[in-house]
Amino acid sequence: MIILQILVNGFLLGGFYTLIGVGFTLVWGVTNIINLAHGAIALLGAYITYFIFQYWHLDPFVTLPVSFLSMFLFGYVLQRYLMNLVVKAQIFMLLILTFGLEIFLVNFMTTFFSADFKSVTPDYAGSSLVLGDIVIPYIRLGVFAICVIVTLLMSFFLDRTWTGKAIKATSLDIEAAMMSGINPAKIYALTFAFGSGLAGLSGSLLSLTQAFSPNIAGGLTLRAFIVSILGGLGRIEGAFLGGLVLGVVETMSSYVIGESYKNAIAFGLMVLMLIIKPSGLLGRKYYAEVKH
Amino acid sequence: MLIKKLFLFLIFLLILVFLPFVISGYWLRVLTQTFLFAAIATGSNIIIGYTGYPAFGNIAFFGVGAYVTGVLMTKYEMGFLATLPFSALAGIILASILGIPILRLKGHYFAIATVGIMETIRELVDNMTELTGGGLGLTLPIMQGEPEFIYKYFYFAMLICLVFALLISFVVSKIKLGYALKAIRVDEDAASVMGINTPLYKTAAWAVSAAIVGVCGGIYAYWLSYIDPHTVFVGTYSVKMFAMILLGGGTTVIGPMLGAFILELISEVVWSKFIAIHGMVLGLLIIFIILFLPKGLFETFKGGFSFKKLFSNLRENKL
Repeated sequence: MIILQILVNGFLLGGFYTLIGVGFTLVWGVTNIINLAHGAIALLGAYITYFIFQYWHLDPFVTLPVSFLSMFLFGYVLQRYLMNLVVKAQIFMLLILTFGLEIFLVNFMTTFFSADFKSVTPDYAGSSLVLGDIVIPYIRLGVFAICVIVTLLMSFFLDRTWTGKAIKATSLDIEAAMMSGINPAKIYALTFAFGSGLAGLSGSLLSLTQAFSPNIAGGLTLRAFIVSILGGLGRIEGAFLGGLVLGVVETMSSYVIGESYKNAIAFGLMVLMLIIKPSGLLGRKYYAEVKH
Repeated sequence: MLIKKLFLFLIFLLILVFLPFVISGYWLRVLTQTFLFAAIATGSNIIIGYTGYPAFGNIAFFGVGAYVTGVLMTKYEMGFLATLPFSALAGIILASILGIPILRLKGHYFAIATVGIMETIRELVDNMTELTGGGLGLTLPIMQGEPEFIYKYFYFAMLICLVFALLISFVVSKIKLGYALKAIRVDEDAASVMGINTPLYKTAAWAVSAAIVGVCGGIYAYWLSYIDPHTVFVGTYSVKMFAMILLGGGTTVIGPMLGAFILELISEVVWSKFIAIHGMVLGLLIIFIILFLPKGLFETFKGGFSFKKLFSNLRENKL
């Protein structure tokens, strides 16, 4: 029966990984930017929820739109007035630029919010749903549900709306997109804004399920990266599959091999995927093409 | 032209040799640290600048080198200098084994795969408690002698390491390997068609760079006399190294060293003046370099300094 519980835990964790991966994979697939500051942006979202809960005692789930919108704006400004200036340079320039940003944000949070671990614990934090032998905390269930709903909404947005289609078109062929009247500078900014907004949202959800400090930013970014690699770049359904696989593998291996090898196994999985099929489980040439 | 450059470099070296007899212990330490970074950047430049493979996690070899020296000195009671060849060897072996699958990847994929490798090795080291001391760290035997002597010893050890790194980097750029790497950087498919065994040359380049970085790690471990997984497998070092290579210019032999001197001295001044916001300033500095000096300081200001050039760089890469 313990295996079933582990599977459930893995799926619940996988839901969160999906959400943090969706924003990352979208930005990567469309703009070819590996946003190493993704985890730090997620933590900004987590701090927003924390501070609102701390000072106004608002329910953490109510703060989700706030952290989404503020990170959305932050991401838009960042891409429009900073990253767009270097988009055409060699690829690792942007990698280092986002890492510079990560160092800045993490140190900013450490200086002003301290390096202590913080957590958000509403009244209902302890209660769980019990199904036979399986225990599911309500909060984790809620977090999972939100992750799935947001992922579906994002997928719907990309497939059905004009802006979503413009984003996809830009990722396929930037020149052709420009010819049909799409302004790539705006689309890039919008994509990055969505990526950051989703990161902020996932950070808020993270604050509900575990304690966080500025130092975990790098770990979050790498998780998002692994999810993107597993699923295939720029694909929402890929991130969903990748997130669930990573969540289950991580919880499974923690149980079988030991908690302290968790990261090594996650990275091993990623390196293996890169060697066998770099385009990911669901990756197609058309989206995940390596641009130089 | 080369003679003139060599002459300038020798004068520079001569100054560095006599400097420790006039400066304070603090500056001795700062310069030792600067040499360390200069050697890491010079070594890593062989794979990053010459070959064009952004090995973001090259610090993995630094950590491995540090632990090889640490373990050999504590568990097998070897002398310090005798352990350094093993640190280099560990880097070469690891890079050769990993190079075959990993160097098939390009761009972002390669960059992050190397980060993944670094994190994985760190965790393995963290878990091999019996050999490496795990999270408790490893305390190396402390060097005997006066503090003055020890400071100077490491200063010269690091300086010699840097000179060796520069020498190797120079030789690599002049032999067939260097030309092959240049061809790979410009167009890998074309290089392959021309009959260059690209996997072999790429792996060789990575192995050489890993050996240099490994030796740096070994010296660092004995200098610090205490290492733990988080002090030698440091992501920030990777970024610093990258910023140094960019600042100095990655396709030259001497560029990364100059980049290291500039960045490390700036960062030291910032660190001593504004300790609380040091990290934030470092982040901003890196962003500034990428925005205004993406080609490196020396390439940008070849014909003299002007603010115009800074902004022309900015316009060039704009979307």
